[in-house]
Amino acid sequence: MFIIELIICFIATIGFGVIFSVPKRALLLGGGIGVVAYTILSAGLYFDASPVFSTALASLTAALISHFLARYVRIPVTTLAIPGILPLVPGSRAYFTMLAFVDGEYLTGLEYGVETMLRAGAIAAGLVFALAVFSFGKGIGHRYETNR
Amino acid sequence: MGKSDKVMDICLLAGEIMLTYGAETYRVEETLERMAKAATMKNVHCFATTTGIFLSFEEEGKDDHMQMVRVDDRLQDLNKVTEVNQVSREFVNGQLDVETAEVKLIEIAKAPVPYPLWLIHLSAGIAGSGFSFLFGGDWPDLLPAFIAAILTSVTVVEFERYLKVRFAAEFMAAFIGGTAAIALVFFGVGDNINQIVIGSLMPLVPGVPLTNAVRDLMSGDLVAGVSRGSEALLTSLSIASGVAFAISLFL
Repeated sequence: MFIIELIICFIATIGFGVIFSVPKRALLLGGGIGVVAYTILSAGLYFDASPVFSTALASLTAALISHFLARYVRIPVTTLAIPGILPLVPGSRAYFTMLAFVDGEYLTGLEYGVETMLRAGAIAAGLVFALAVFSFGKGIGHRYETNR
Repeated sequence: MGKSDKVMDICLLAGEIMLTYGAETYRVEETLERMAKAATMKNVHCFATTTGIFLSFEEEGKDDHMQMVRVDDRLQDLNKVTEVNQVSREFVNGQLDVETAEVKLIEIAKAPVPYPLWLIHLSAGIAGSGFSFLFGGDWPDLLPAFIAAILTSVTVVEFERYLKVRFAAEFMAAFIGGTAAIALVFFGVGDNINQIVIGSLMPLVPGVPLTNAVRDLMSGDLVAGVSRGSEALLTSLSIASGVAFAISLFL
C-alpha cells in the first residue's frame, strides 16, 4: 500500500516539475527527491513524531540532496528543491483553515491556521539549514567581522 | 558602440531573463557580477530586487557605466534559468565571446516553454489527482480530482492570456476548480469532496516564490525576500478566497 503511495508521489512530483518547466534532465531527479521527502514525512508520522518536526526533517533532507545533486549535474538548486519539497506543502491544512473560517468557526480555523503556518515554517527551516550547511566557509549573512 | 555597452547589454539581458522566469535574487546578482568581471570590467556592483536590476561597472581607463532594467512579469520557467546559467558559466570560462553570448541569450529569451501547453495541463491534472490521493483521498477520487485540476490549470492560463491580471486569474481558477469538484461529487463521481477540492487547487500552489523568498531572506537580500514572500501570500489569499466563494455558493 505504501509502495503505491510512493509511486503516486513520484508521478505527481514529476507533474509539478512539468508545471514549473523544470528542464528534462532534472525531472526524474526532482521526482526522486520528492519521494524521499514524502517517505521521511510518513516515517516521522508513523513513529509518532510531531507533524512539524517530521516536515522539518523531510525538508532538510530534500534540500540537502538537492544541493548535492545540483552541484553534481550543474543546474540551479531551485530546479531540484522546488519539486522536492512540494509533497510537504500543507495543502490540506490550509484548505481546512479556509473551510473553518468560511463556516464561521474561528477558533478551529485559528488552530488549523497555526498548524499550517508552523508546517510552512518547518519547510523554510529545512531549506535554510541545508543552505547553511552548504555555505560553510563561503560565508552568508555575516554578523561579526571576525577577521579584522 | 564600445565594448562596455555590449557587455552591459548582455549582462542586463541575462539578468532580466533570470529574474522574470523565477531565479533567486542572489543568483542574478552573482551571475551578473561574474559575467562583468569576466569581461575585464572593474568596480562591478549589482543590486537586484524582485522588480528590477541595477548594474554598474567601469571600463579600464574610460567612463563609469550604470544602467537599470525594470522587471514587470514574474513567470515560472525554470528551464530558462538553467539555460542562462549555462551560458553565463561558459561566458565566464571564456568559451563564448560577447557576440555569441548575446545571440544565445536572445534565443533563450524568445524560446517558447519547453513543454507544450497540453502537456502542462495534463501534468497539472496528474499532480492534482496524485496529491488528492496523498492527502487522504481514495481510488474513486482520482478521476474527479484529475478533471477539476485540469480545469483549474486551463482557467488560470486562459484567463491570464486575455485579462492579463494575475490575481484575478488565480481567483477565477480556484473558483472554477472548486465549482467543478463540487459539481462532480454532486453528480456522483468521487466521494471525499475535501480531498478532491484540495487536489484541484494544487496546480496553483506558489512553489517558486515561496522557495525563493526563503532563499533570498537567508542570503541577506531582505527587500527581495519580503517582497517575494508577500507575492506568495497574495497568491495564496486569492486562491483561498476563490475556493471560499465557490464553497459558500454551492455547498
